[in-house]
Amino acid sequence: MGRDKLTRQSLGGSLYNRINEAKVLMVGAGGIGCELLKNLVLTGFGETHIVDLDTIDLSNLNRQFLFRHEHIKKSKALVAKESASRFNPAVKIVAHHANIKDPQFDVEWFKSFDLVFNALDNLEARRHVNRMCLAADRILLDAGTTGWQGSVTVIKKGVSQCYDCNPKEAPKSFPVCTIRTTPSQPIHCIIWAKSYLFTEIFGTSEDDAPELDHSEDQENASEIEKLRKESQALKKIRELIGKETFKKSVFDKVFHEDIDRLRSMEDAWKTRKAPEPLQYDKLVAETTGIASSVAQSDQKEWTLQESFVVFNDSLDRLGKRFQDLKETSNGNSSTPPILTFDKDDEDTLDFVAASANLRSHIFSIDSKSKFDIKQMAGNIIPAIATTNAIVAGIVVLEAFKILRDPPEFDKARSVFLTRLSNSPGVTASESLLPPNPYCPTCSVAQAQLVTDFTRAKLKDIVEGVLKAKLNYSEDFSVSTEAGVIFEPDLEDNLEKKLSELSIGKETFLTVRDEADDCPRTNLILSMIEKSLPADEGAVQLPEAVVIPQRPQAKPEPSMSNGSNATNGTKRKRDATEADLEDAGKMSKKGKVQESGPITIEDDDGAILLD
Amino acid sequence: MAAPQYYDIVQAREGRDVLWRPKAEVRRSKCRCMNLPAVLWSFVGALPTSSQECNFGSSLRPGRHETRALVIPQDMESPTPPILHGPTSKEKKYDRQLRLWAASGQAALEESRLLLINSGPGVVGIETLKNLVLPGVGHFTILDSGIITEADLGVNFFLEEQHLGGYRAEHTCNLLKELNPDVQGDFITDHIESFLSNQLALKPYTLIMVTSPVKAEILAQISSHASTTGTPIFYIHCVGFYAQFSVHLSPSFPIVDTHPDPLSTQDLRLLTPWPSLLDLARRKTTGLEQMNEHDHGHVPYVLLLLHYLDLWKAEHDGQAPGNYKDKTAFRESVAKGARTNTPEGGEENYDEAVAAVLKSLNPPSLGSGVREVFEAAECQNLTTQSASFWIIAHAISTFHKTHSALPLPGSVPDMKAQSKDYIELQNTYKTKARHDIGEVTENVRAIEKQLGRTSQIEDSEIEAFCKGAAHIKLVRGRPFHIMMPGQMPAWGDRAKFAALSLTDPDSLVLLYIAFLAYDSFISSHTTGGLGSASVVPGENNTESDVEMMASMAYAITDDLIQQSGIAMSASEQTVAKGKIEQYVRELVRAGGSELHNISSLAGGLIAQEVIKVVTKQYVPVDNVCLFDGIMSKSSVLRL
Repeated sequence: MGRDKLTRQSLGGSLYNRINEAKVLMVGAGGIGCELLKNLVLTGFGETHIVDLDTIDLSNLNRQFLFRHEHIKKSKALVAKESASRFNPAVKIVAHHANIKDPQFDVEWFKSFDLVFNALDNLEARRHVNRMCLAADRILLDAGTTGWQGSVTVIKKGVSQCYDCNPKEAPKSFPVCTIRTTPSQPIHCIIWAKSYLFTEIFGTSEDDAPELDHSEDQENASEIEKLRKESQALKKIRELIGKETFKKSVFDKVFHEDIDRLRSMEDAWKTRKAPEPLQYDKLVAETTGIASSVAQSDQKEWTLQESFVVFNDSLDRLGKRFQDLKETSNGNSSTPPILTFDKDDEDTLDFVAASANLRSHIFSIDSKSKFDIKQMAGNIIPAIATTNAIVAGIVVLEAFKILRDPPEFDKARSVFLTRLSNSPGVTASESLLPPNPYCPTCSVAQAQLVTDFTRAKLKDIVEGVLKAKLNYSEDFSVSTEAGVIFEPDLEDNLEKKLSELSIGKETFLTVRDEADDCPRTNLILSMIEKSLPADEGAVQLPEAVVIPQRPQAKPEPSMSNGSNATNGTKRKRDATEADLEDAGKMSKKGKVQESGPITIEDDDGAILLD
Repeated sequence: MAAPQYYDIVQAREGRDVLWRPKAEVRRSKCRCMNLPAVLWSFVGALPTSSQECNFGSSLRPGRHETRALVIPQDMESPTPPILHGPTSKEKKYDRQLRLWAASGQAALEESRLLLINSGPGVVGIETLKNLVLPGVGHFTILDSGIITEADLGVNFFLEEQHLGGYRAEHTCNLLKELNPDVQGDFITDHIESFLSNQLALKPYTLIMVTSPVKAEILAQISSHASTTGTPIFYIHCVGFYAQFSVHLSPSFPIVDTHPDPLSTQDLRLLTPWPSLLDLARRKTTGLEQMNEHDHGHVPYVLLLLHYLDLWKAEHDGQAPGNYKDKTAFRESVAKGARTNTPEGGEENYDEAVAAVLKSLNPPSLGSGVREVFEAAECQNLTTQSASFWIIAHAISTFHKTHSALPLPGSVPDMKAQSKDYIELQNTYKTKARHDIGEVTENVRAIEKQLGRTSQIEDSEIEAFCKGAAHIKLVRGRPFHIMMPGQMPAWGDRAKFAALSLTDPDSLVLLYIAFLAYDSFISSHTTGGLGSASVVPGENNTESDVEMMASMAYAITDDLIQQSGIAMSASEQTVAKGKIEQYVRELVRAGGSELHNISSLAGGLIAQEVIKVVTKQYVPVDNVCLFDGIMSKSSVLRL
């Protein structure tokens, strides 16, 4: 009896053969990926490619069973391949230790697969694969888990909802002055410690951070200017690293001097308790006898004195590391050394936890344990083996439907795992929903440009293709994920080469028709690299494209949960409206649900980090 | 955990949602707290973007926080704690799961000893164990007398060519242990009959899993062990595209820590405010009309609602709005209080107040789960041997009789407010919660004295119970059906439910009946004799097996309808039997073999329930779970 007899018997011969011949791509070799790879290999999928950039960490081992302690710091993709190959010598596994956004993984490459599986844990990569599969017209099976919950869905261009059809949670944003001037929650102090204090001392300056929105600086010039001065003063202290006075200088600056300045703004403290500056020397006297090992008590909330001890101790440790870095990089001093916050880096976590708690004390905010701060600062998402196993099993079931001859796409389902005690099942499934006609990613026209990157300029696209071939008049814009690169008022980039604008064959360009009358839907351009004869245009449009008109009624603008700098304000709904919308959602869900109630959450704008 | 005994678990001092929903700050595009014009700082760093983790698909919200705070008791708060336990490598390894079931759950997991009774080449039991070894179960034992064949290699990912001819239990056990060096494991290759001939054989195990096929008498023996000792038993099927498992729990299986939805745990007592809350509301809303723009826009919504309730009651004979119509009218009256001449054209605190009217203005009521606990005989008739759960439950039911309310959980949601006011409001709720806990503790101590109990129930246990009181749950475990040769299952008080489910298109009860017929087939085909293998449907003659199994399933269905006393039309019966036949055909076609991804999936589902049972957290499946891989559909039935 052959090793595949039982599988063949269960699946039936013809499906089993198609699975044997299938070439599939699995993006992500983490929690879901390990389970999924095992399923694919044991089910007999002929050729599986794995792409994962990540390396193995200790905290992976409670669920990513293809990895052992001795694999820590090694490539997930490579180790996963090595471990899973033993399960079934008859199948082929190809591992890529690389970023799925790398140019080598272009649309043509995606087209070489029969099916694509997303086994990813981050939004950006999932959106990227989604776009790639839409451009390559390949079916994407997307799986995700968080704690006990999970979801599986099937994305087919033009037939079912894509990953972007439902707006994602809006980016979390805090006004600068909440973080820097008027914190009221532990999270504010944690963000202050992680993204302001830590980065100003050891990292790149906050000013350089892309998340800083300067659009309203004009309105608050004076306070912004003061905050900027504070940052600069802090940066000077960086030069004291290694000196005796370093720790006290940092402390005095941020926990005393800056607090004093805030206190002096009397208007602000009329209705709330003014912050209380801390005294370095007084704390030194109070903390004799407290060992720095208190930093290891990560489950309890530290006292003020304990936070102080951890602050000093972690600053020592970070200072030394910074010095060492500086010495080793002395040869090439073009890039100054920096340290970056990492939740799994004990030194940086101790510093952030201690600093956040000191600041909380100043503002009479509850302190948090290091364990909790780690979760809040590091966006830790709970993860366990069981949920991944369930989701990975379901994904393969959906893959069977698609691989049948003829494909049973109409039977494909979105499946959700719930942990609701009142649910009649442990899973709930619903039929796939048709694409959202307003989806910025899939309800758009798509075109591919054959591009000679050695000489192509933005002008070749804007003038040579969009205006000349596709009848765009004047009012339109072109953007990449990073932002707008061309619009009527922005013509500086036209003469630049695409490479200068960081446009490669992995880049998507979005063309927005801004015409007042009957604008057309957005056009997504993907690139195929090819060297073209010098007497021809550097960018060519190989196939005719039809760009339909944009649907008339515009729904509430969906939040783009990504990098587009355009978002920021969110229209606030009044409560009555919110109730109505929720009711509407409920009845809609009620119709499509297959078994068991689907969680209907009060969409009150709750922002949950995990 | 390195030292779980050092940890004590209490509920977070405030609801986690407070921390994670700083919406007032987040959604405001202009910060006006300090009358400063403001900048919107798009803080991408705290977001699930780029390299950070956001695992969710398009349709589900990100998971909620289920973490609970771990607080070290007084004696650990000395300035220099012993260096026993920093985050050890073990804690780091388990970090992602500790955030779900906390140190208490982990300790329970590490104290458990599991037994898997396996036969045949099926791997669903092994897949389940894999998902329990990874998170660090204490000890497992595999009982399996089978020898490894080619067929095993195709389904069992652990086994390779070199293992052919060896004991399946031995090699699988060794390879499972490699997954987690912290886990102890062993194996037994005796035949199940000889193993069970020792009366004490099952005694060491805290939870037992049995996979089909297994002889009915053996299953009956194990089930009776569960009935006498309260040891949880899982009985598992996995065939082709289908999986099913039944859970036999103790008839009294209470759960304190059910991890309810954080949004459902908010209990603001707006209709029954206590004096200090009322006082706070009156102080903070004095001169509301005259307040400046900033103050008016920062009165916490809870206090606004109390204020407008006062006004409403004055006009309605002291009655709070009770029905939907009144509440809507009340909501209008609150909405009218908002100022619209602000730069935003409204006030966020008023928006919050308006949104909270329908869900917060409810009189305290007792959920059915709590009621069931209070009414249970174990709660009403305490003995010296009563478990601490029942003593606390009794104390809380006394509290409830006195106050017509459960102890206050004490958490307050995030809201638009000035920090000072918010903290004062928080303290008012916390103080009341502490006071309630104090009263319950007094009740507990009095009961302990009355019963003459020598050991005291831990304060922390009482506190955790009080905070979760509204969501405690009692599962009444029951034995599952065992198909003894020539016998029909007894449906008892579930006959009516099961019979009605026969015509429910969403229920998988028909698949359950097909599995009962599957067991019945095995019972009637077992040749007897020590270690004789079970014959499963489809192994030999497919078409005659379908016929035989289907007729068994029809007989079970007819008998069920008869037991239930429910009339079912002939056409309904024909439809039901037609579906049963499809299930039977599919089960027979698989010939007892597993489909790898189904066993893997089922192994995830079962391990998940084992964790719930072992940690006594969350509400486990009660008592039958079915999965249909053809429809990607599941069903949990109490049968």
